[in-house]
Amino acid sequence: MTHAIEIERLQYRAGKAFAIQDLTLHVPSGSIYGFLGPNGSGKTTTIRLILGLLRALSGRITVLGDRMPDDHPRILERVGYVPEQPHLDPTLTVAELIRFQSAFYRRWDAQRAALLTKEFQLDEQRLFGRLSKGQKAKLMILLALAQRGDLLVLDEPTDGLDPVVRRDILAALITYVSESGATIFISSHLVHELERVCDWVAVMDEGRLVTELPLEKMKNGTKRLVIADAPAVINDAPFRILARESSNGSGETWVVSNWEPTMTSFFERIGASVRDVVDLDLEDGFVELLRSFRTGVR
Amino acid sequence: MVMYKALLYTQWKWARLIILLGTLAGFSLPLLSLQGAARADRGALQAQDLLRAVQSWGTLYPLLAAALGLLVAIATWTADHRGRHVHALTLPLPRWRYVLLRFAAGMTLLAVPIAAVSVGALLAAFTATIPSGLQAYPLALSLRFALAVLVAYAVFFAISAGTARTAGIILAVVAALVVVQVVASIANLQLDLIGTSQVVLLHGLGPLAVFTSRWMLVDV
Repeated sequence: MTHAIEIERLQYRAGKAFAIQDLTLHVPSGSIYGFLGPNGSGKTTTIRLILGLLRALSGRITVLGDRMPDDHPRILERVGYVPEQPHLDPTLTVAELIRFQSAFYRRWDAQRAALLTKEFQLDEQRLFGRLSKGQKAKLMILLALAQRGDLLVLDEPTDGLDPVVRRDILAALITYVSESGATIFISSHLVHELERVCDWVAVMDEGRLVTELPLEKMKNGTKRLVIADAPAVINDAPFRILARESSNGSGETWVVSNWEPTMTSFFERIGASVRDVVDLDLEDGFVELLRSFRTGVR
Repeated sequence: MVMYKALLYTQWKWARLIILLGTLAGFSLPLLSLQGAARADRGALQAQDLLRAVQSWGTLYPLLAAALGLLVAIATWTADHRGRHVHALTLPLPRWRYVLLRFAAGMTLLAVPIAAVSVGALLAAFTATIPSGLQAYPLALSLRFALAVLVAYAVFFAISAGTARTAGIILAVVAALVVVQVVASIANLQLDLIGTSQVVLLHGLGPLAVFTSRWMLVDV
């Protein structure tokens, strides 16, 4: 499997309060990779490191086969980026910004830009500073897509937008990926939204990677188990216990990851039994993962 | 070239009012400074009056050059500062090249008021009757103005390109200089830091000396 982004043992420090610690990440080429984490977990900092906006203390970043930040002009030619905050010149109109952006990208797709301007119903003569939040987000997505990049890096692109705009943006992204085979690296704390589009997810918290795995594996492997007669100490479990609580009555409720149906035999071996296996959606799984990460339950 | 044009356009949008006013001022200044020389009946005494008038108007050229350099330099970086430089830093070109393109675009815009000074000076020199013994130097004045604008723009461009921290350091150095000077005055110490700095910066051999030389459209 080739990787659009490879990060190995990355270290970065921003003041005394925050650091990215020993981050290793592999984003498969052609995937839609959801980068999850609560606010302040280090998502935006990681993205800035990937794009060469910040310099790491140590570690290695490879984007589309080239080293960042050494080869940044070559990499950025193939990367579309949508930042968390609008970053464009507020005195330029939509048409002027499209023209400005097209001057810097050799693979600029003017036809796609025109099509998306229509689809997104953007007024070409309106100043960027006078656009609504949703229109600004749409324009930034348009600029990123018209670059015809092999990789799109989107930092919370739909945060704070209404559902209609969110849906428009996600639809445009999916169309682009299906046509071009590009990779999308999308950060968000809106878990349910990523659930609809991603095929890989990574979870960050407090500057560290909590987990990185295919979405299906995360969804199918994260379960709530109702266990009877569970012993106090569990050794050599083939799954990962994220949370363990006593429920009403004699049983216990466990939240586990990496679960497979055949693993019920493990409970028979330890003299316990599984009364129920409940599916968790990505958001519940995400919350449990974070909770276990923070309390140190592994 | 396409990138340069794109940057030139964005800078024009930010700096057009400055350029317009600078062009107007640059064109008028030489004409106003020589308006008294338009009459043909000038004697020796009038020549001295004229020199004095030209000299006093001459102080406005370096001021205009410095103001243009400062304002256009600020306008050059304003859009990038507002977007925290994220857009600029994610464009696919080496950073030195981006800075160079921005600088070149700003300098191109400044060529307009520089040209206005040249045209104004040539027109003033051509239309005025210069008393005998005096001579007009429109080209020398224009060149000096161009150099002063370039120096001012380069200095302020470099300062504005920096972060708030850089600006803070520069301000702190200036403030420290003033504080030391005040303390020295209170303590009756023979210390003239501000005067010395002025001499070193403006009257030394450096490029800033262009601001303190004689700005005479008409001279002996």
